[in-house]
Amino acid sequence: MAALLADQFYLIAHEDQTGRSRLHPRATGLGLAAGLLGELMLLDRVRVYGGELGVVNREPPGDALAHNVLDLLIVQRHHRELRTWLAFLAQDAAIRVGERLLRAGVVEPVTRRRLRGTQTLYMPMNSDQRNAAAWAPVRLANILVEGRAMDIADRVLAGLVLATGLTRHVLWDFSMQRHGLTTLYSVVDSLPSDLRELVEHTEASVGSVLAAGRR
Amino acid sequence: MTRPKEPDIVSRSLARNRLGVPSVVFFGIAGAAPLTVILGAVTTIYAVIGSTAVPVSYFIAAGILMVFTVGFVAMSRHIVNSGAFYSYISHGLGRVAGVGAAFVALPAYAMMQIGLFGLFGVVGSGLLAAAGIHVGWFVCALVAWCVVAVLGLLWVDLSGKVLAVLLVAEIVVVLIYDIVMVANPAGGTVSFDTLSPARMLSPQAAAMLVLAIAGFVGFEATVVLSEEAKDPRRTVSRATHWAVLIPGVLCGGSAWAMSVSTGPAHIVDAAQTEKTNLVFALVAPHIPAILVQVGYVLFLTSVFAALLAFHAAVARYQFALGREGILPGPWGHTHPRTGAPLLGSITQSVLALGVLIAYAITGADPLVYLFAWLTVLGGLGVLILMWSASAAVLAFFLRHRSKENAWRGQIAPGIAFLLLSGVLAATLIGLPDMLQVAPNSPLRWLIPPAYGVIALLGLGWGLITRVARPDVYAAIGRGTEGHLVAPVSPAPRGLSVEPVGARSPFSSAVH
Repeated sequence: MAALLADQFYLIAHEDQTGRSRLHPRATGLGLAAGLLGELMLLDRVRVYGGELGVVNREPPGDALAHNVLDLLIVQRHHRELRTWLAFLAQDAAIRVGERLLRAGVVEPVTRRRLRGTQTLYMPMNSDQRNAAAWAPVRLANILVEGRAMDIADRVLAGLVLATGLTRHVLWDFSMQRHGLTTLYSVVDSLPSDLRELVEHTEASVGSVLAAGRR
Repeated sequence: MTRPKEPDIVSRSLARNRLGVPSVVFFGIAGAAPLTVILGAVTTIYAVIGSTAVPVSYFIAAGILMVFTVGFVAMSRHIVNSGAFYSYISHGLGRVAGVGAAFVALPAYAMMQIGLFGLFGVVGSGLLAAAGIHVGWFVCALVAWCVVAVLGLLWVDLSGKVLAVLLVAEIVVVLIYDIVMVANPAGGTVSFDTLSPARMLSPQAAAMLVLAIAGFVGFEATVVLSEEAKDPRRTVSRATHWAVLIPGVLCGGSAWAMSVSTGPAHIVDAAQTEKTNLVFALVAPHIPAILVQVGYVLFLTSVFAALLAFHAAVARYQFALGREGILPGPWGHTHPRTGAPLLGSITQSVLALGVLIAYAITGADPLVYLFAWLTVLGGLGVLILMWSASAAVLAFFLRHRSKENAWRGQIAPGIAFLLLSGVLAATLIGLPDMLQVAPNSPLRWLIPPAYGVIALLGLGWGLITRVARPDVYAAIGRGTEGHLVAPVSPAPRGLSVEPVGARSPFSSAVH
């Protein structure tokens, strides 16, 4: 697994110029949470079946954040529902993934004054970082439009883009990229069943969060 | 599994950000804001129907809805997308029936919201007239329309705290007014005449229950928040019961207090002369002027909150239907950043503007023909939905007997279904008289079949979907949860009616 799933999703879901979330913050959080769980699934540490999640291998993954999430899953194993874990991890996923990107040198922390208190955003600051961030959605779009073979991480990433509502941002030019949209659907359809379940539950969580309309 | 010894980090962390009973109650009664119903609906019912059974009808309606809520909330725990009646119907009575219900729901909720603009216009123009500014109801309604349309697009629901403060203030004012009215009875004696259940025995009075039930619409929205609630099982259940009980007691009590203050014999005359001003006229001689002015302002904010709540409800309904593929896809899109269901919001705003302009051009009385008629017609649609939902709850628990106990699964839903059937039958018979349609007007026999035709269109659309788009059909009832990613969960046997969400134990867990 070359690039980390949640990292890629973070870069697609945030504006490279302002660092703001392109989606409703809770939808972005759910996408990132699904990305973190997806990473563990791709590493064969976790499996999903029938809406529930189980740890199948306790061997710590190399990445610190993935390790951290796996530890939580083990300690709190009485919580099995995927939806619960998505909601839980979504709460601070943006900060945690942002910090991981900071450690990788992809973004830098920017502190902004808000109405009450301050907020730290993680965003690309220099031109190299900006290029890398802007490349994330373009790369995915190119693969989809050209119909190239995708590795499993990119296929899950495509699924999360679809599930959270970023499709139009990635495939922004409808006439040129119509083919990419067809590919996107078939890529998601052909995901292995547990990863497809992850994508499906992400879509469902995003929908119910948006319907409730709370921050 | 034994209870964990470790601290429950997940539950604690999730609970911190979640809603308790009061917040869910406020969400539920925002649409049926008590002051709107008491000052707007109760007085209008007294005036238009000319019956003194109003207080009893609210108490009985609350009773029926309490029984209905038992099975409704119980079922909400077992299905996905529990926010809308049509999803209960598709889970309980089948997906084709669900589409039919969705088609009925769209105009019903839309009409209730548009009708409220009439009330807002009249009240707003009355308030301004008292301040010496003379503008017509249409201008006031138009201002409200603009604000609602913009807030709807921004997906700004009045924040929980603002709503809570307004509602508590409303309830306090209502209680003060009630005490004042009961403390100053006509002829010096407090009459309990209008509380006599015997008044409900006439068919026309039974049909009044639809008007009372319309005053509760919105309480079913509490289940939308089940995933946002601290304890999905208990919080929502308690809150929904409160969301029925509070308006029921307040509206019934206030309706009775009004009749005490005028005397049961004169309440209809008084309501016909004073209209929505009735309560203010009754209490004004006995309380400081400032309390009346506060009441006027709260009345206006209360109608506005109801407008906004219904607008959000309509937009949410269209969003859910768009997301599951019953309405065209664009209705399922949201503004990426705010999450506002754009097309649903715009559709409702355009529709409302069209109706308002039509009323302004024809010059029809906004209180009777816009507020009373549209909310009653919308209320009839919601009653049809509730009735079908009660049948759906019954059918659902007949198939899944083991899921709830007999009271929640069979007895309460059965009673609710019978009671709602009675109310619906009485309404269909008594409706033209309630609306005072002229004896030779085609509207007399047009209204109930209109819903029938809409439902048939929905059933037809459901059948077409089943044949032409089986993937969309399979996902009906998922609502906002969407259908882009076809569900893969292997449905356990016996649960095939449930599109998704059948929670099966994770069998291959290796710890």
